[in-house]
Amino acid sequence: MSVPSEYFVALSAVLFGLGAVGVVTRRSAILVFLSIELMLNAANLAIVAYARQWAATGGPHALQGQGAVFIVLAVAAAEVAVGLGILVAIFRYRVTTDVDELAEVRA
Amino acid sequence: MIGFLIVAALAVAGGALVITARQPVHAALGLVGTLLSVAVAYVMLDAHFLAAIQVIVYAGAVMVLFLFVIMLLNVEQQRPAARWPWLRWAAYASGLVGAVAVAATALSERRPAPDPAAVAAVLQGGSAERVGTVLFSEYLLAFHLVAVLLLTGVVAAVSLVQRAGEQPGGEAVAAFEEEPTVRASEPA
Amino acid sequence: MTETPVFVQLVALAPLVALVGSLVNGLFGRGLREPASGVVASAAVGVGFVLSLVGFVAYPAGAEGYRYVVWEFLRAGGLSVDVAFLVDQLSLVMCLVITGVGFLIHVYSIGYMRGDPGHARYFSQLNLFVAAMLVLVLADSLPLMFVGWEGVGVCSFLLIGFWYEQRANADAARKAFIVNRVGDVGFLIAMFLTFKAFGTLELSAVNAAAPAFAYGAPVLTAIGLLLLLAAAGKSAQLPLQLWLPDAMAGPTPVSALIHAATMVTAGVYLIARTGAVFAQAPAAAATVAWVGALTALVAAVAAFAQTDIKRVLAYSTISQVGFMVAAVGAGAYWAGIFHVVTHACFKALLFLGAGSVIHALGGEQDLRRMGGLGRRMRVTGTTSLIATLAIAGVPLLSGFFSKDAILSGTLTSSLLDGYGAGLLFALLLLTAVLTAAYMFRWYYLVFAGDERLTAEAKAHVHESPAVMTTPLVALAVGSVLAGYLGVQAFIGRNLIAEWLAPVTAAVEFRHLSLGAEWALVVASALAAAAGLGAGYWLYHVDKGRTAKRLEPTPVAALARSGMGFDAAAQAVLVRPGESVAAGLAALDREVVDGGLAATVSGVPLLARLVTLWQTGYVRLYALAMLAGAAVVAAVALFAGVLR
Repeated sequence: MSVPSEYFVALSAVLFGLGAVGVVTRRSAILVFLSIELMLNAANLAIVAYARQWAATGGPHALQGQGAVFIVLAVAAAEVAVGLGILVAIFRYRVTTDVDELAEVRA
Repeated sequence: MIGFLIVAALAVAGGALVITARQPVHAALGLVGTLLSVAVAYVMLDAHFLAAIQVIVYAGAVMVLFLFVIMLLNVEQQRPAARWPWLRWAAYASGLVGAVAVAATALSERRPAPDPAAVAAVLQGGSAERVGTVLFSEYLLAFHLVAVLLLTGVVAAVSLVQRAGEQPGGEAVAAFEEEPTVRASEPA
Repeated sequence: MTETPVFVQLVALAPLVALVGSLVNGLFGRGLREPASGVVASAAVGVGFVLSLVGFVAYPAGAEGYRYVVWEFLRAGGLSVDVAFLVDQLSLVMCLVITGVGFLIHVYSIGYMRGDPGHARYFSQLNLFVAAMLVLVLADSLPLMFVGWEGVGVCSFLLIGFWYEQRANADAARKAFIVNRVGDVGFLIAMFLTFKAFGTLELSAVNAAAPAFAYGAPVLTAIGLLLLLAAAGKSAQLPLQLWLPDAMAGPTPVSALIHAATMVTAGVYLIARTGAVFAQAPAAAATVAWVGALTALVAAVAAFAQTDIKRVLAYSTISQVGFMVAAVGAGAYWAGIFHVVTHACFKALLFLGAGSVIHALGGEQDLRRMGGLGRRMRVTGTTSLIATLAIAGVPLLSGFFSKDAILSGTLTSSLLDGYGAGLLFALLLLTAVLTAAYMFRWYYLVFAGDERLTAEAKAHVHESPAVMTTPLVALAVGSVLAGYLGVQAFIGRNLIAEWLAPVTAAVEFRHLSLGAEWALVVASALAAAAGLGAGYWLYHVDKGRTAKRLEPTPVAALARSGMGFDAAAQAVLVRPGESVAAGLAALDREVVDGGLAATVSGVPLLARLVTLWQTGYVRLYALAMLAGAAVVAAVALFAGVLR
């Protein structure tokens, strides 16, 4: 008996919520990044779950969902690379990665 | 069903670790756990290729990169004191509300459980052949653009960490130099 | 529809020519040298006179008016308003008076305003006035007439306050305009009622439809009374006559043209033009007649006590216009218009003569410092004497004929039955006596008797140049001959009544026996004689001793102040109005401006509040986004799913 897709989506929502809380709560930029990755994964999970659902109801193009996840995965990897590069660069000049200290754009 | 519950529990546990661990390495390992759980979920959802990619790329490459940077920057332990004490609880509340709302929305639309045979007929297990077919037909442009994006990312990452004047070739490059824009030509 | 005859189109051109003259002087006047501006203006009016004359000559006798539609202005529902001119006997007479007397006054002004830096502005405004007045008398519909009505009001304001640097002049102009405005309200409401009752605003249609109403219908009476209010404002009748004496602050030729010959007669014209309405509403007509008669009497009494050469003439104008208003109120429309014509001649002449005197004495206007000028200024003195005798009603001069026509009209009119026609007649007769008396006083104090001039005035005095005295002579000729237009029917042929008959409403006049007619004529002559005789005795024989003894009496003080109307208006209208204005100003200052200032000071406060958001702390931003997304998700859940 297959697990209904909605359960996976609910799981995805919980993971997304966790990641969002992490983004807001954590003070180190690296940990914020980790939380963002968590959120991305939650989204990917939701897409795959709905792709499976679409396949179940007879859409012949359901695989497009999985193709999209592939693309998202690649983009997330590139984003991590560049983001961590920025982080390293900032660290080199500021010696801190505390997001509260890095508040340059201030009124 | 049991499988799903185990996967869900592991994923949520990993996520909780990410957002609460005091040591950054613990948080990273928590995320690894979540990623692996999600890969198992992919298998349960007939997306085998994606599960493999998830393990190889995400858990294998991205998380390793994260761990390298954590160790390089010697990220200190999280200080418990926060600038705005109310922030934590506001975040918890918002996150809870949002997650519950979305989950409830999803769960309230009851649909018949998917027939494995029908799913298998379409997805064919989400094999590399099937996903590859999609990538090279409907998502061809996206595929090429992602290639360009990865190249761009590589160049950006390298130029970001170069100190000024250290570029091989003699050109002085500032740390925050703009990424060179490379236009991909349309494949015929 | 037949093609409009050429002469009608020519007459309709007259206002346009005057307007062009006004524009030329208005736009290019600063570059024009002294006589040029005046010549241009006079030429414009002169052309208008020629056009009116052509129209007059070419007009077929007995015709009932030509309608010339220039432009279909407005068609909305049942209302259609055209810019259309009505050329008929009545409007032609008024055009001739306006352009003829106007032309003479323009020529006179060339000399009077010599050396004044604002001469181009003066002539521009004077031309504009003539244009507006012509539009008023040529209009075929009430709205178009109202355009002219407002136009003359505005020009009167501009010209009274011509020397606006002095506060008193500007105040007088403002007073005139505001009092006029009160009358204009009457005009507007009359227009609304007319449209409601008649369904149209065209004068010819209204006059044709009026007899269909019941005799004394309330709506007609209401319209008539409102038109009376409008006429009272414009023609300075009770209780809106306050502005005319103060209006003497303007240049004297302005007083001559606007406040003697033309604008003040606009009210008379209005009532004559809508005569069919009044002929069917005896209550309104009688009110008109009584207002006219009372005004005439009150103003005549006030004229006795004035010491300014022009203010005497101002009150005299109010009084004479009262005569005209009484005439048209009684239904003797031709008599009212006849007096308009004769009055234009001799009153303009009186004003221009006064201007000549003022000019000669270097600005002196106080009667007590004049005297004996007839010997030094022959032409002015003689023409002023002719005018004085004319206005007094000396037989064979124009005033005699027109005044007699008015008196007999009020006595024999059927419209005034039951409204005290006899008493009205007596009041008018008494006023005629007073008129003769105070005009004799005026003439005597200025031109005859002992010289009371100041030293520098005595050195200054000279007869005015020809450009000023020629119009005086022309007007004097008119004052003499104009009377023969309206010789009473039992004596000879009444040209003006015959001319105006087809276009004025028909009112029943009782036929007097021949003896009664002659008795009336004699009574008029005796009235003039009595008045002149009294004046002669008071000032020549008695050398003004009795008059001086009467000066401090309360009656005299009342007369000097214009019979208390100014004080009454001050207490009843001006002071409450000023307190209302002060209240509104305070409201504006505190509430409106204060609210605005509060808003203005509130904006930086609001901005400061908003900038608190711009902390630069990413976590707060992220929290905000998260919270917002959570809210949206919750709303979607509750609104969409858990319905």
